[in-house]
Amino acid sequence: MAQKALVEELRKIVGEKNVLHSDVDMQLYQYDACLQERRPDAVAFVHSTEEVAGVVKVCNKLGVPFVPRGGGTNLSGGTIPIKGGVVVEMIRMNRILEVDRANLRARVQPGLFNLELGTALAPLGYQYLPDPASQKAATLGGNVAENSGGPHCFKYGVTTNHVLGMTVVLPDGQVATIGGKAPDTPGYDLTGVFVGSEGTLGICTEVVVRIMRLTEGVKTLLAIYDSIEEGSESVSAIVAAGMVPATLEMMDQLVIQAVEASIHCGLPLDCATVLIIEVDGLKDDLEAQTQAIVDLCKAHGAREVRVAKDDAERAMLWAGRRGAFGAVARLAPSYLVCDGTVPRTALPQVLRKVAEVGKKYDLRIPNVFHAGDGNLHPLILFDWRDAEQKARVMKAGMEILELCVELGGTISGEHGVGLEKIDAMRLVFTEADIHSQVRVKKAFDPRDLANPGKMFPVPAEVLSAR
Amino acid sequence: MHADLGGLQGRLENIVGAEYVSADPEVTARFAVDGVKPGLTVRPGTQDEVSKVAATCSAAGATMIPWGGGTAMGLGNRPSSADAVVQLDRLDRIVEFDAANLCVTVEAGMRLGALQETVAEKKELLPIDPPADSKVTMGGLVATNQSGPGRLLYGTVRDWLLGMRVVLPDGQRIRCGGRVIKNVSGYDMNKLFIRSLGTLGILTEVTVKLLPLPVKRTAMVSLFPELSQATAAVGKVLESFLLPEALDVLNPEAMTLLAPSLELTAPAGSWGLAVSLAGSRETVDRQERDFAALFRDGGGVVTPLQDGRTVPAWDAIRNVFDLLPAPPAQRVLCKIAVSISRTGEMLAAAGALGERLGLSATVVAHAGSGVVWAAFPLGRTAPPEALLAEALEGLRAKAVATGGSLVLQAAPANLKARMDAWGKPGEGFDVMRRLKAEFDPRGLCNPGRFVGGI
Ligand SMILES: Cc1cc2nc3c(=O)[nH]c(=O)nc-3n(C[C@H](O)[C@H](O)[C@H](O)COP(=O)(O)OP(=O)(O)OC[C@H]3O[C@@H](n4cnc5c(N)ncnc54)[C@H](O)[C@@H]3O)c2cc1C
Repeated sequence: MAQKALVEELRKIVGEKNVLHSDVDMQLYQYDACLQERRPDAVAFVHSTEEVAGVVKVCNKLGVPFVPRGGGTNLSGGTIPIKGGVVVEMIRMNRILEVDRANLRARVQPGLFNLELGTALAPLGYQYLPDPASQKAATLGGNVAENSGGPHCFKYGVTTNHVLGMTVVLPDGQVATIGGKAPDTPGYDLTGVFVGSEGTLGICTEVVVRIMRLTEGVKTLLAIYDSIEEGSESVSAIVAAGMVPATLEMMDQLVIQAVEASIHCGLPLDCATVLIIEVDGLKDDLEAQTQAIVDLCKAHGAREVRVAKDDAERAMLWAGRRGAFGAVARLAPSYLVCDGTVPRTALPQVLRKVAEVGKKYDLRIPNVFHAGDGNLHPLILFDWRDAEQKARVMKAGMEILELCVELGGTISGEHGVGLEKIDAMRLVFTEADIHSQVRVKKAFDPRDLANPGKMFPVPAEVLSAR
Repeated sequence: MHADLGGLQGRLENIVGAEYVSADPEVTARFAVDGVKPGLTVRPGTQDEVSKVAATCSAAGATMIPWGGGTAMGLGNRPSSADAVVQLDRLDRIVEFDAANLCVTVEAGMRLGALQETVAEKKELLPIDPPADSKVTMGGLVATNQSGPGRLLYGTVRDWLLGMRVVLPDGQRIRCGGRVIKNVSGYDMNKLFIRSLGTLGILTEVTVKLLPLPVKRTAMVSLFPELSQATAAVGKVLESFLLPEALDVLNPEAMTLLAPSLELTAPAGSWGLAVSLAGSRETVDRQERDFAALFRDGGGVVTPLQDGRTVPAWDAIRNVFDLLPAPPAQRVLCKIAVSISRTGEMLAAAGALGERLGLSATVVAHAGSGVVWAAFPLGRTAPPEALLAEALEGLRAKAVATGGSLVLQAAPANLKARMDAWGKPGEGFDVMRRLKAEFDPRGLCNPGRFVGGI
C-alpha cells in the first residue's frame, strides 16, 4: 500500500534505521500534550538540512503531508499529524554551530533544547533570553514555530525579538536562508512571518539568534498575599511606578500546594497567591529597586516579601515556578491549559471571572501565569476518562477565552492555535482577517502539505490548490 | 499613461469631499516620486474612507502610492506607475492611550513626534528615534522599519508593534495582532506588513507598546585620532556589562558638521564616538564614569554633553545629514547593514569611496547594531552616473560578501535608473513574489518600488 512506498522513499533519504513505521512506533507519535490523537504513516529522523529537504521532496512527490516535531511539548496539538503523513523528527539536529560573541549571535540547529543553549552560553558570560518554563525539553525549533515566551518576556520580549535569521526548507523542498547576522535584509520580513507559524510554512533547519551578556546583577523576590486581587494589583502598581522588572510571575494557592508537595521550595501553603519578581541589569540600582518593590507590595497588601539571599535561594524559587505545570499533574489525571492574554490591568477582573467559570461548571481551576504580560494559564482539572466532565471542560475553556477577548485580550499568548484553538480564532478575527492569514499560508504552501489541518477555521479546499 | 482618472476623481470626491482630491499639476508635482508625477492626490479622513478610496482605485485599476510624512519617499526604486497618491496626514488621531498598560493606538498618519508628546504627559515614551521624527508618521515608520541610534538598546519599531489595521489593495479591512504584549493567535501578520513599504496594503492604524520615561539621560562624545581606536572602544563596550542606549561612530566629515551643534572643537581628521545613557540616576552616573574611563584608556578625548545639552546633541547627530550644504536632491544616501563586527570596515570603505570619487562622504554608524549611513553630496564635481553606480555597486558587493546589504535611501532618479535600490533579491524571493500576488494580485500598491521589481 501507500505506506510501503512512502517508507521506501524515505529510507533512500535518511537510511533504513532512521525511518519508523511499525504499529507501536506510530502509536508513540500519535499524541502530544493536547487531547486529540492521530497516527502518522511514518516517522523520519533527520540529521541535516539536505535530509529535511529530501524528506519534504518525497512528501511532495507522493502528495503526503509532513509535520516537524521537536520536543513535542507544545500545548495546542501542533505536532499531531491530524491528516496523517510523515512526522519529521528534528531532535538529532541538536548542535550549536557557532557562538559568535563579536556579533552577539549564535547559530544553532533546531533540535537543540533551549536549556542546552543557555548552559553552553553561561560559562562564556552570555545568555539566550526567551526561556519557556519547558526549556529542559523544548527545542529551539519548537520555540521558533510557537514564538514561545517565558518568564522573562516582560522586559526582554519573546522568541521573535531574538531570532534574526534562519535556514528553512520550504514546503516544496526548496532551501532558503532568510535574514541572518546582518540586520534589515531587503524584502519582506520572512523570518518574522515564519516565527510563530507552527510548522505550517515549512521546516526550520538552522536558526540565528541574538545572544546577550549575562546581566551584572539580579535580585529575585517572593511576595506573599492573602488575596489574589492584592497580588495582581501589586503587579500593576510596580509597572505604574516606572519599573521594568525582568519577571512578574504569579501562582495561586492550589498551584502552590501542588508545587510544595512535589518540590518543597518553602512556599507558604496557606496563602492565596505568590508573586515571583525579578529585577536585573546594572548592579548600581538593584538594591533601591528591590526596596521600592518590597514597599509597593506591602502597601498593596503583601503579608510578607522575601528577597533571595543567594543563587541557591533564587534557584529554589525558580524551581518552584518552572515545576508548576508538572506539579499540577498531581492534582488530577488531566488538565486543559488555557493561554488567554489580557491587558495587564484587567487581570483582577479576569481572575474573578475565571473563578466564576469554575463554579459554574463545577471544575477546579488552579492558576499560574505571566502576570507582567497579562498572560494567564488557568489549568482546568479533570479526568480524561469522564466524557461528561471533559465536555464541561471544553466549554469552560472556551468561555475563559471569550472573557479574555471581551476584556481586550486574545486567545493565545504563547502556546499557539494548533488544533486546540481553531474554533476560538473566530473570537478574535473576522472572516477577512482569517482569509488574509490563509493567503500567507498559500504563498508559502500552495499544496497544503506542511502541518495541514491546523490553525485555520476554514475547509481544506480553501487552503489547497491540489 | 494614467488610468481613467477623470471618472476616478469624481468618485473619490464623492467619498472624501472635493476639497480633499486634487489633480492640480502644482499639487501633484509636490508628490512626485523619483520624478513620477501622480495623476491625483486624495486625502481620506477616516480609516473607512481609506478603504473606500482603495476599493474605488482598485475597481478603476488605478495604482496607489500611500504617503505618510513623505520622509522616505526616496527609498527604493522608481515606481512604474503612480495614479493616485493616498495621503494619510488627516488620519492623525489617537485612538486609545492606555497609559496604565503602557500601550497606545493611533491612526497611521499620526506623527511620531506628536505621539511622543502625548505619551510623555504620562511619563512614557516609544523608544524609537529615526531622523526627522517630527515629520515621520507611524504608518511610514512601520512600513519602512526605519530606526535610529537607540536601536542598540531598544531595537526597532518591529519590537514594539503590537497590532495594526490595514486596508488591502481591494479595500478590504483587516486587523493584525492586537493590544496585548504577547500574542500568538494565528500568524504574526504584523511582520508581513512591517518594512513592506506599502506594497501589500495601506496601514491605517498602529498599536505600540511604550516604555516608562527614563529618570535620567545624558550623553558624551569622545574624539579619537584613528578609526581603529573608536572601533576598539566599541568592541570593549559590547563585551562589558554596560548598557548604553546608543553608540554612534561619526567619521571626520560628520564630526566637522556636528562640532558647532555639539559645542566642541574637533581637530581635523578626528573620529567621533557618541554615547547616550538613560536609566536611573545610579546607573547613568556609574556608566558616565565607566565610559569616560574606557574612552580615555583607548586614546580618546572626552566631552560630556550633560543636562540641557543632551537632547539637542542627539537631535543633531540623528539628523546630521540635514547639516549638509548640498540639497537633498543632490546627494546619494545609502544604508549599509552588516553584522556588528563589520561596521568599522564598512565605515572606512564608504569614506574611502567618497575620497576616490572626490566626494566628501559623511558617514555615521550605529556601531552596536551593524547599521552604517553614508551620504555622498553630488554637487557640480560629481562623477558621471555610470562611474558612481559602479563604485556604489563595489561598496554593495563588499557588504553583500559578508551577508549584508546596501540600500539606496535616496538618490537622483538617473542614478536609480542605473542601479537597483535594493540589490539582487535574496533567497526566499519566490515566496515574496507569491505573497505580493496573494495580497496585491494586480500590482496596484507602490508598483515597482520594492525588492526585485515588486
Ligand atoms: C511544562 C510546560 C511548560 C511550558 N511553559 C511554556 C512557557 O513558559 N512559555 C511558552 O511559550 N511555552 C511553554 N510551553 C509550551 C511549549 O514548551 C513550547 O511551545 C515549546 O516551544 C515547544 O517546543 P517543542 O520543541 O516541544 O516543539 P514541538 O511541540 O515538538 O512542536 C511545536 C510546533 O512546532 C513545530 N516545529 C517543531 N520543530 C520545528 C522546526 N524545526 N521547524 C518548523 N516547525 C517546527 C511543530 O510542527 C509544532 O507545530 C510549556 C509546555 C510545557 C509542557
